[in-house]
Amino acid sequence: MTGTVNAAFEINGITFDYEGIPAIRDLSLRIERGERVVLLGANGSGKSTLLRILDGLCFPTTGAVNFAGNPLTPEGLQRNGYGLAFRRQVALVFQNPDVQLFNPTVFDEIAYGPLQLRWSKENVLQHVDETLRVLGISHLKERAPYRLSGGEKKRVALASVLVLDPEVLLLDEPTATLDPKSQSQIVDLIQQWKGTTKTVVTATHQLEIVEDIADRVLVLEAGAVIGAGTPSQILSDADLLLRANLVHAHRHSHGSVVHSHPHRHGHSHHDHEHGPSGKS
Amino acid sequence: MSQSFIESTLQGFARAFSKALISEQAAIQPGLLQSLDPRVRVVGILALVIAVVLCHKLAVIGAVLVLGVVVAVASRLSVWSLATRVWFVVLGFTGLISLPALFITPGDRIVLVPELALSISAQGLRTAALLVLRVETAATLTTVLVLCTPWTHILKALRSFRLPTEIVTMLAMTHRYVFLLIETANQMFESRQSRMVGELTGPERRRMTARTAGVLLSKSVELSHEVYLAMLSRGFDGEVRLLTDFRFRVHDYFGLTGFILAACLAIWMGR
Amino acid sequence: MHIPDGYLSPSTCVTLYAFAASGWYSALNRVRRLLATRMIPLISVFAAFSFVVMMFNIPLPGGTTGHALGVTVAAIVLGPSGSILAVSIALAIQALFFGDGGITTLGANCFNMAIVGSVVAYGVYCLIAGKSEVGARRRAFAAAIAGYVSINAAALLTAFEFGIQPTLFHDASGTPLYAPYPLHVAVPAMMIGHLTLAGLAEAVISAGLVSYLQSSDIGLLRGIQGFPGMPGVANSVEDPSPVRLWWIVGFLMLCTPLGILAAGTAWGEWSSADLGNPAARVQIEASSGNRAAPSSVPAGLQKLSAIWTAPFPGYAPRFVKSAGFGYILSAMFGVGLLLLAALIATRIANGLGKWESRS
Repeated sequence: MTGTVNAAFEINGITFDYEGIPAIRDLSLRIERGERVVLLGANGSGKSTLLRILDGLCFPTTGAVNFAGNPLTPEGLQRNGYGLAFRRQVALVFQNPDVQLFNPTVFDEIAYGPLQLRWSKENVLQHVDETLRVLGISHLKERAPYRLSGGEKKRVALASVLVLDPEVLLLDEPTATLDPKSQSQIVDLIQQWKGTTKTVVTATHQLEIVEDIADRVLVLEAGAVIGAGTPSQILSDADLLLRANLVHAHRHSHGSVVHSHPHRHGHSHHDHEHGPSGKS
Repeated sequence: MSQSFIESTLQGFARAFSKALISEQAAIQPGLLQSLDPRVRVVGILALVIAVVLCHKLAVIGAVLVLGVVVAVASRLSVWSLATRVWFVVLGFTGLISLPALFITPGDRIVLVPELALSISAQGLRTAALLVLRVETAATLTTVLVLCTPWTHILKALRSFRLPTEIVTMLAMTHRYVFLLIETANQMFESRQSRMVGELTGPERRRMTARTAGVLLSKSVELSHEVYLAMLSRGFDGEVRLLTDFRFRVHDYFGLTGFILAACLAIWMGR
Repeated sequence: MHIPDGYLSPSTCVTLYAFAASGWYSALNRVRRLLATRMIPLISVFAAFSFVVMMFNIPLPGGTTGHALGVTVAAIVLGPSGSILAVSIALAIQALFFGDGGITTLGANCFNMAIVGSVVAYGVYCLIAGKSEVGARRRAFAAAIAGYVSINAAALLTAFEFGIQPTLFHDASGTPLYAPYPLHVAVPAMMIGHLTLAGLAEAVISAGLVSYLQSSDIGLLRGIQGFPGMPGVANSVEDPSPVRLWWIVGFLMLCTPLGILAAGTAWGEWSSADLGNPAARVQIEASSGNRAAPSSVPAGLQKLSAIWTAPFPGYAPRFVKSAGFGYILSAMFGVGLLLLAALIATRIANGLGKWESRS
């Protein structure tokens, strides 16, 4: 049994009900520090709820959640100083960026986290400028959120949590509704964290990005884990993907024979260069 | 026409967005007001508005109006845009309202219209002129301030004047989400408009409006819950901390003195 | 109903700002206690919602359209304190950013629409909805009446604020310095538009929204404690008994005699009879800087005063000696009329309900 020090998250048999409907059913998992995990599931599979539980925003009805050996409970987060420390260490990027962009300008948004964590004014200004530069959005500094495109909003949302330099990044559908260029920008960012001490948990239903951003994949369906493995193992298991509603079956006929088989959209193999942070 | 009430609502939405855009462009021009600290702008314009409300003399109010126009032009605002945004609107509304006052205010008769058995009194003329001129001047001053200053700067200036942080935060957040909700409502109305075939009856139209408002309400409450979680996630614990980085420079002192002097002069000469 | 800068005198503005400030202060404290950290996002987004609803063009019976305030729905869903804050914030943004309403008059506007509007709307709604089920038809009906009454109460208050201006604030020659119309002109002029259009629009949208919520999102009608993610502030439900609210309205009515500072008939509010009466003429001349009064009743005045003959000419029923008491009585009568209408409406609703369930 590896020491709990190495575990980022340990979840034991949790259930979570949302207005009487079970959203998570008897789920257990363990995420190590530095791992890049993908929670793969269709809408309604419970992956968003799971991310919020990992971020201490909602708490399971039964079972226990531990972060770095400490129990994640409402009382625990109220305890002196632990709440603030946790908020800095674990960051969640919401699926709908408008929810996360609640400040009047991009600058205010990125400065919000550091300000709430009571950094000094100089520190705040310095880190905000640095983060703007790294994400290539310095030109958006004084822009209001409603004037941003979808891709820009996602980048600002990412910037607003990266400025805190968190150890754990929880990403809820980071590439959904994005055009291909913005999508690849986000994927590149996530790839950069491979091999670092950053733990990244991404919830998505998009099969095409899984290989690039994950070391391990957990497949969710109706609030339970129905499969786990490496990306190549999971992506080649057509039945599993079908059960999880991630692919659909086509029925078609050849002459007098009718058959159906799982069919996946948008997958194409292509050759490309890997940068220094690429896969080995 | 069943579409016309939706159409005018949609036009209202479009106007709101265009106003925001114009304000954004005007705020970055290199003009007089834009060069002053936002706190000086807010205090200065406010002082002038208060002076106008305290003034009893037409000539002095007129002088403040002229001052307002001069400041506007110096801040790269076009007189025509002021006229269309403020002057014509006020004239149409307040001008119309004050018209009967010409005839029913008792006093010295100066004009008699025997055919209509109506007479205009000097007092009536003066009271109508006072009201219209005051409203025009105050509206001009406020418009100039708001067009040249981003909303966030106005709020930060208010924060410096000891308005509670929660109120300032709520004003900022409301402003930010107004545009999101207008966009949502816009989409809902447009999609309903495109699906409508033929005329709707009165009750159907009312139900449609109520349903649009209802969906908007549900979405708003849900949005507020999600925003709450997003705030918690980034360390919100009830206390709001803001960054104020306004610094007073030499010309800000001059600007402030100028505004205050003008206001005091107007009050003294207009009493 | 949004009053621009210049219609109200500085002292009126300051007084109403003071009234508004006390309303804001108590609402803020109460909402802080009820919602804790949830306050900022909930009130902000609801204020944005109110703002957008104010922009809707609402189709009315008869083919016209009107605009509503949304204060009734805010009061029903958030409770009166939350509604005071949310609607005040929406009004502030309208005034500052969109130029709808003045800055010196923001206190007045918030007092009339956000504070009195919320309190009256909530009170009437609770009174008529009574202990009926959250999903009952009676609730939509209650919302309609509450909307109609609260808009007209706010309009009446606004008209009153306009109407006392010429009396209190005029220069030596008798020129009104701010809003130029005395009470007996200002009140009917304002009320006509609101009794027919704005009041109806508010009634339509309030009833419509309550009906919609009853079928789609009924939790929102059970009060803010039922909202998603509410902190566990167990038993402090915001439901002050309507009786306490009527005390507040009563206190407001007692303030109406502020308009009476001069002895005798208020200046500018003379009737045609006064101008014909020699004794009254002396008084008129004395209070008008010793200028001669028109020798005959100005024809215009005669025409206009014939259009509107209030049931209480001069606001003072004959049997009342003191003018101040007369004002209070008139105000109480006005509000009483509204209450009576509400109670009759309740009876009708009950009767309809019984009839429906039988058939």
